[in-house]
Amino acid sequence: MFIFAHRRTLTLLDGEYGSVFKGRSLDFDELRAYVPGDEVRDIDWKATARHGSPLIKRYVAVRRHTVLLLMDTGRNMAAQALSGEPKKDIAVHAAGVLGYLASRHGDDVGLLHGNATASKYLPPRSGEEHLERLLREVDASASLDGPASGIAEQLDYVLRYLKGRLLIVAVADEFLPDAHTQSLLRRLRGRHEVLWLTVRDAELAAVAGNRMQQSTDVGTGQGIPAPLTVDAKVRAAYAAATLEREKRRRDVFHGLGIAEEQTTGSEDVLTSVFALLEKHRSRAFSSRTSPQGGNRAG
Amino acid sequence: MELTYWWILPLAAAAVTITAWLHRRRRPPKSRPIAHGERLTDLPEYQHALRRHRARLALAVVLGAVFLAATATAAARPIHRSTEQPEIRNRDIVLCLDVSGSMTSTDAAIAAVFEDLAKEFDGERIGMVIFDSSSVQLFPLTDDYQFAAEQLTLAKEALDSGTGSFFDGTWNGEGSSLIGDGLASCVQSFPGTDAGERSRSVVLATDNFLSGEPIFTLEEASALAAEKKVKVHALNPGDMDYGGQPDQPGAQLEAAAQRTGGTYFTLDSPDAVQGIVQKVQETEATNYLAAPRVVLDDAPAWPLGIALLSGTGMLLLGWRLEP
Repeated sequence: MFIFAHRRTLTLLDGEYGSVFKGRSLDFDELRAYVPGDEVRDIDWKATARHGSPLIKRYVAVRRHTVLLLMDTGRNMAAQALSGEPKKDIAVHAAGVLGYLASRHGDDVGLLHGNATASKYLPPRSGEEHLERLLREVDASASLDGPASGIAEQLDYVLRYLKGRLLIVAVADEFLPDAHTQSLLRRLRGRHEVLWLTVRDAELAAVAGNRMQQSTDVGTGQGIPAPLTVDAKVRAAYAAATLEREKRRRDVFHGLGIAEEQTTGSEDVLTSVFALLEKHRSRAFSSRTSPQGGNRAG
Repeated sequence: MELTYWWILPLAAAAVTITAWLHRRRRPPKSRPIAHGERLTDLPEYQHALRRHRARLALAVVLGAVFLAATATAAARPIHRSTEQPEIRNRDIVLCLDVSGSMTSTDAAIAAVFEDLAKEFDGERIGMVIFDSSSVQLFPLTDDYQFAAEQLTLAKEALDSGTGSFFDGTWNGEGSSLIGDGLASCVQSFPGTDAGERSRSVVLATDNFLSGEPIFTLEEASALAAEKKVKVHALNPGDMDYGGQPDQPGAQLEAAAQRTGGTYFTLDSPDAVQGIVQKVQETEATNYLAAPRVVLDDAPAWPLGIALLSGTGMLLLGWRLEP
């Protein structure tokens, strides 16, 4: 199990992903005419015999990919998820699973996290100790008194400062991307491989048969009195609005061609992560992406 | 309107202030942090519900304040202060009726008046003695007004008709209309000699035409009455004195009545009896008014009523606020 890459890696270090570089591996790529300087042992003698001039066998080199965990650590992530746990716990859990898969696969894992005001980048490195560090960083950064969330800031950071092709796994909450964020996502999707895991937000209106609690919006600090959320009209309107928003979100990610999966709580993280990986590999999420043969080696 | 314990009000205000202060100091109730609250709060339905909720809360605060103020006022015991001059109703009245032939219609009128009065008596005692040549106690002093009224009704009917066994026992003496003896018997109807707290009066109806030799003369009987502190109010339906000599029957009766501190009336017709009895009653009443005193009445009805109303309102609101 690992994060599938549809496009070839640009890194020079050996790994298990298909690379844009030619080299030695088991994946045969092409034959070409011998030019001085080529290694003699690369000459395909049989082909040379048939062709009459020396031909060189070329293989696709296998290289490492770099996995970047793109995480929101603003105030929003310290709020409750649908399951009642803090969203950041679920995010850390999911990032842990993905990072572990990547690091077992031999990939480097980096982290870019932040809020609406600042982004922090921890460069990719290999090893589980490094992953542990990243997860601790995420856990420590998201707090209720921190700055507000703004994933657009992190998307901008990646586009602006990070070079090379990356496997980006974004973990954020159930925000609805605005036009600016959508354009950033589109550019990101063009340059990198993007997987998106959404941690679902807490239910705001009361669910039938559930004792409601007073809520406080971490964004505005405004309280939502429990008696209001029980009101039948409010609940109906909220349910309709939720359906509408869900649909728009789905449409946005579908249109962008980004595999997106939702997770509700920590029991559900593994299923969601695997579903996301499978969705990404099979490209079942988007009809717009052109079919491109997978080129993983090995 | 004033308050007995006015200091309860500042105390209650202080208690409310301290409670409010403690409430403010208390840690805010546990609230779950959520993100994207505007998804709910921006809904027009939510805005509407929020306005209603706020209105209800404001109403609840007002009702609570009214409730606290009303209960504090009730606890401070609001009172009505009024001055009252209570009439002491501890009189003993003996009707002393001469039932000789000429007196029956007057006697019937007196009985009728007292029959009505007995219905309104409260604390008074009434007794009745009839006499001619000897006296008969019809009923002793009693506060069983129902019984007295029955007896008075019987007496009235018998006096109206002038026949029957009602007058049995009144001719045992020699002669008739032995007024001195009759009055003495009436005075003897009062127990003991000490009047105590109770005032004593005799309503004596007679024309003072004496025929026969009484054991007590009218003077002696009135002296006895004065000794026992009994006032004699005399009603004379047939005052036919010639001139102003003191030995005329009417003058004698008047003198006897005034000696006891009582009054003397002449009657032109039995219909006047009612007015005269009222006059007697009024004299008695004014004589027996107690000293004016201040009466303090608790008036908890209106603060408690307001508290009840606002409390009910708060219950209803609370039911709406915490579904």
